[in-house]
Amino acid sequence: MQGTRERTADGRETMRINMGPQHPSTHGVLRLELEIDGEIVVSCRPIIGYLHTGIEKTMEARNWFHAITMTDRMDYLNPMGNNLAYALAVEKLFDCRIPERAVVARVLLAELTRINSHLVWVGTNAMDIGALSVFLYTFRERETLLDLFEEASGARMMTSFIRPGGLAMDFPDGWMQRCKQVVDGLPARIDEYEGLLTHNPLFKERMIGIGKLAADDAMALGVSGPLLRASGVPQDLRKLHPYCGYETYDFRVCTATAGDCYARYQVRIAELRESVKLCQQALARMPGGPVRTDDRKVMPPLRAEFQHSMEALIHHFKHYTEGLRPPAGEAYAPVESPRGELGFYVRSDGTGKPVRIHSRAPSFANLQALPLMAKGMLIADLVAIISTVDPVLGEVDR
Amino acid sequence: MSDATYSLDQLEKGIGRDGIEGLVVDAARWRETAAMVQRSGFVRFLDITCVDHPNDAQRFEVVLHVYSPQGKKWLRLRTRTQGQLASLTPVFAAANWYEREVFDLFGVRFDGHPDLTRILLPDDFPSHPLRRDHPLGGEPVDFTILREEA
Repeated sequence: MQGTRERTADGRETMRINMGPQHPSTHGVLRLELEIDGEIVVSCRPIIGYLHTGIEKTMEARNWFHAITMTDRMDYLNPMGNNLAYALAVEKLFDCRIPERAVVARVLLAELTRINSHLVWVGTNAMDIGALSVFLYTFRERETLLDLFEEASGARMMTSFIRPGGLAMDFPDGWMQRCKQVVDGLPARIDEYEGLLTHNPLFKERMIGIGKLAADDAMALGVSGPLLRASGVPQDLRKLHPYCGYETYDFRVCTATAGDCYARYQVRIAELRESVKLCQQALARMPGGPVRTDDRKVMPPLRAEFQHSMEALIHHFKHYTEGLRPPAGEAYAPVESPRGELGFYVRSDGTGKPVRIHSRAPSFANLQALPLMAKGMLIADLVAIISTVDPVLGEVDR
Repeated sequence: MSDATYSLDQLEKGIGRDGIEGLVVDAARWRETAAMVQRSGFVRFLDITCVDHPNDAQRFEVVLHVYSPQGKKWLRLRTRTQGQLASLTPVFAAANWYEREVFDLFGVRFDGHPDLTRILLPDDFPSHPLRRDHPLGGEPVDFTILREEA
């Protein structure tokens, strides 16, 4: 769309322009149709769908097992969290129990991905508003986390590691020690980022009072996650409806009251520290035992069992020819992703093919609040606002 | 069309295997029941989605999830429609994009929606791909050469 000039009711001249979908600050392919009066945003209309790849349709065409790999690709900064939400939804259909070690490992992995995702956010947010060097620091630490994922699952980002019934496999030898080293090193690193940003006058100038979102509006628009908590609503599913035993961990829900970009920064930095604590607790209490359920309807047996068990071979064969066959019914399983309430709604008819797998993606709802936050702001501030919404277009568009 | 009204006393688990209770609502009572549910404390809109049953006359099953911060629980509303349903945007502002998504992917029209346009697919997309009778890979591409034509 070419920039076009229009006249508002009160006689001022405004201009309609496009921002994106290839604008670097739009975090992927978000297009904003802006109506601007000089540098002031009069209205803003997000146009999404540039990354739509029909993930939900693809999931319905495959089987329940194949769908795991699609969940990674929705929110590509939070692969383990998406795996977890999907696994919990399918486990609700089966109503199966998960070994204790897998439950604790899931908390550890979910929190590691939360750290990973927030690190990307801190780096890119600072970069969006002109502090380029922070990105280099956060990506240095993110690299160590990705190395851990790679070592455990074989993939740096598209892990598909948390599966219905537990984990794909146990951690390799020495992984926990290396993980502990990385996690224990993080608080000092977070201090470094804070040293670069928290009291930086330029950073504060760009963040404080920008893109305010009132708690009522946020609730009405279905906003969740750090965006909602920065407006003073202490909503965190890990506390409200604990899954994976979150109620037994010591952590706090991080909130701020200002509801502006700086509050969102404070919330995410605080969450980084809480996640580090959670990881340390999970590592300390990690029990022994299996990481895969022995319910053969949910998870296939390991190859080693074929040597002495005919049933194991049959289960293996059934599993890989027919896939999972959850009982008919539906389930909604929400988890607290780094961006908010991520829920998977799954529907089974008892055959091996999903009837419907729908993901309630937090970024999708959070983006709905963008026009409200952007109204009356400068275009340069809009960049900061988009960044603090932290949309991942992969899960917005699916 | 029935003239039944619905209340929270009629909650049932139905086919849900997750412990979330819900109501099966007549399509004519959809918006009014959503408003009743909202007044009863389920103020937080989470999700609207659709499940297609192509062999049924009322083929679209629209499923709404809401949450009550006071009662700390979820609720699921469900209705069946042939493709026309009252929009919930007057009740839940957040329903806006979700209903656009259902319209886009399933072709359910929501009456009273302020801006019922496609959201994920291009405006000139010819069909609604999440319908179960929509073929996979059925989208014609500019450089597709069919054997018969060649």
